[in-house]
Amino acid sequence: MPVDCAFQTTIERVSILDEHGVFDESLGEGLIPDADVVKLYRHMTMCRHFDQIAFKLQRSGRMGTYPENRGQEATSLGAAYALEDSDWLVTCYRENAGLFWRGVDPEKILLHWMGDERGNNIPVKATPLAIPIGTQMLHAAGLAWASKYRGDGGIACTFFGDGATSEGDFHEAMNFSANLDLPVVFVCQNNSWAISVPTRIQCSAPTIAQRGLAYGMHSVQVDGNDIFAMVKVVRDAAERARRDNRPTFIEAVTYRLGDHTTADDARRYRDEAEVEAWVGRDPMIRLRNWLEHRDLWDESQEHAQQLENEATVSAIVKRAEGIEPPTTDDIFKWMYADIPASIDAQRRTLRTSSLGQGIDGSGS
Amino acid sequence: MAMKQPKDHSHFLLPDLGEGVAEAELITWKVSPGEAVKEHQTLAEMETDKALVEVPSPWAGTIKELNGNAGDIILVGAVLVTYDIGGAPQSATPPVEVVAEASSEREDAGSVVGNVSETLTMPTSFQRQDECDTERCCESRSLATPAVRRIARDLNIDINAVAGSGRGGRVTASDVQTHANEPTTSSAAVATRVVDTPPAPAEELPLATRVAVPIEGVSERIPFRGVRRKIAEALQHSLNTAAHFSVNEEADITQLEQRRKGLESLLGRRISPLPFVLTAVCKALRVHPRINCTVDDFVEEIQLRSVVNLGCAVDTDHGLMVPVVKNADELGLVQLADRIAELAQSCRDRTIDREDLSGGTFTVSSVGNCGGMFTTPIINYPEVGILGIGRARERVLTKNGAFYAGMVLPMSLSCDHRVVDGAEAARFLTTIRGLLEAPENILPTV
Repeated sequence: MPVDCAFQTTIERVSILDEHGVFDESLGEGLIPDADVVKLYRHMTMCRHFDQIAFKLQRSGRMGTYPENRGQEATSLGAAYALEDSDWLVTCYRENAGLFWRGVDPEKILLHWMGDERGNNIPVKATPLAIPIGTQMLHAAGLAWASKYRGDGGIACTFFGDGATSEGDFHEAMNFSANLDLPVVFVCQNNSWAISVPTRIQCSAPTIAQRGLAYGMHSVQVDGNDIFAMVKVVRDAAERARRDNRPTFIEAVTYRLGDHTTADDARRYRDEAEVEAWVGRDPMIRLRNWLEHRDLWDESQEHAQQLENEATVSAIVKRAEGIEPPTTDDIFKWMYADIPASIDAQRRTLRTSSLGQGIDGSGS
Repeated sequence: MAMKQPKDHSHFLLPDLGEGVAEAELITWKVSPGEAVKEHQTLAEMETDKALVEVPSPWAGTIKELNGNAGDIILVGAVLVTYDIGGAPQSATPPVEVVAEASSEREDAGSVVGNVSETLTMPTSFQRQDECDTERCCESRSLATPAVRRIARDLNIDINAVAGSGRGGRVTASDVQTHANEPTTSSAAVATRVVDTPPAPAEELPLATRVAVPIEGVSERIPFRGVRRKIAEALQHSLNTAAHFSVNEEADITQLEQRRKGLESLLGRRISPLPFVLTAVCKALRVHPRINCTVDDFVEEIQLRSVVNLGCAVDTDHGLMVPVVKNADELGLVQLADRIAELAQSCRDRTIDREDLSGGTFTVSSVGNCGGMFTTPIINYPEVGILGIGRARERVLTKNGAFYAGMVLPMSLSCDHRVVDGAEAARFLTTIRGLLEAPENILPTV
């Protein structure tokens, strides 16, 4: 037989609570305790409110720039819920929900976008937000490699967008992780748009998950707006990483309901009907309907939650804006454990300039 | 960056609504004077060159005045609204920086054409099938750069229908233009689309459609790129920033030339006049320290320099370069000569370190070996002075009523009038002249 099949496979798509509210009991029952589902929902609403306020802070000149997270909350939240606190979260900038769940103080995220280096000093196992596209997956591979070397049982879970999968660093990280048996969970938040470039223009394959398959790692597609499905696939992936030191590639299909950042206007390149369709698949509304259907949530709780969110976020903003101004030393402080002499010379020079005095009250 | 707003919340300055946005057009107000607003409540809808945005109130308060009308361009940092803060006496309203009414004369930023609602549809550039049908490989697909494809799209021209005259059959911008100017080639479909979108007036064409005007007799077109472009940018920035003026003077270097030749035969090597001039400049800068400085326009500072780092303009095959002799005043004449030769050579073979091309406090540009007398040198910004040296010539000179044959060195000094006054520049040049005419002051003690 001259022509034979060398390899054949399928890409699984996991969905538990779908956009119509249909819940798959066989996969979903008992996956997350009811009390936790309530907690996750409440957390999601807080993140959504935080997102709205952060956006307004930028528009009124109180913050430099901000990328809205709206509509993508379930992806990182589900992953953070499924992981251990000792696992690394290596994110880009649309994973507020997961980071806050892990314990990152939301004030830090505001400080980050206000241009304050102290916003990147986060005392949990999460790396600072990676703004350049696609750099952080290599960091995750390195962190996972270190965990494996030390035998501490930790794994690394990294997040990136669909656009990042067209970057060279992504492919290097995938190749390293697959071939060195590294405990990494790759979560691609396929939100349909890389700023203004639709996914179909930059990926000719029907799924992005195939990119993971090409490296010989377990790859799966999941409804990224379904927190149950996210918890399941990340839990499976974490187990695979811990037990077999094998990486997993997860394509979480979601949608960026807002603009790319506050410097963008998606209405210029995106069809309003497409956005409307995705508003109907909102992970938060889906979860609320599920909870209300099971009598775990009601209108009065929702109202109380909104008031709580307003107070919480307002206090966060107050703390972020009330912090004493940074010193120019901060520019140099965080890159090296031991500051090299040449950088230290720059730090001292800046202290003596009028610019340095302007920010750093101490001056020379 | 975050905009510093007044602590008393008396007025709200328009912040940068995007990243690096300088101004925004007021589309419509969402509040009225006398209205109580909450924190985060939308004040106005505005359009930047990037986006249509809603501007929220940064605090709760009562609106006193709205500054500007629909269609006005408002600069970032200008007062957008004032708030009634009660009690305080009516203070002078801060100036409102409304630039101009939106009118047809307003220069288009290039990213928005037409009114907003028309821009909300998905541009054809994202519709993959537009250029290339379902067939993956199109043999009929023309070779062209994205910039040229963009021009074709803007002109509603099918790039594959344009004959390419460039290298390897590439379609060039002028091919597209030529095609556009042929009246009968448009297919029916193209013609309909042209009717749908009336052509924009010439001055509103986006940047990408800028194509060179066809002119007769061009032998070569050289893109403004690389080192040439860097030189151009640096010089243009200097001219746009520093207030240039020049002073000219001649120095009688008859004696200096004799002593220089004496030194050459003593040392058995050639020493050009340049190190002598540099030594004189170093000494003169110590006498006139105000000229040995740099300007930091960002922090608005004149920075007097404790070191003398002399830039020396060097003509190379790839253009003008200005290596810097660090601590030039600490070097002896011969050391200076060697250092200049070393730096010039590393410029010519492009091995020069980046550090040796920056940090100057004053520059000397010698065009003597190419001929010419006086020049109007352009300051090597952020320095504030530059000395141009012309060709030394033999001349009939007079002294105490008698003629004699002597050597004259033409010198042209340009200074930044923002920092250096004319009298000071003239005195500085006179000091240099004095030093060159009394060579014992600058010659090494042999």
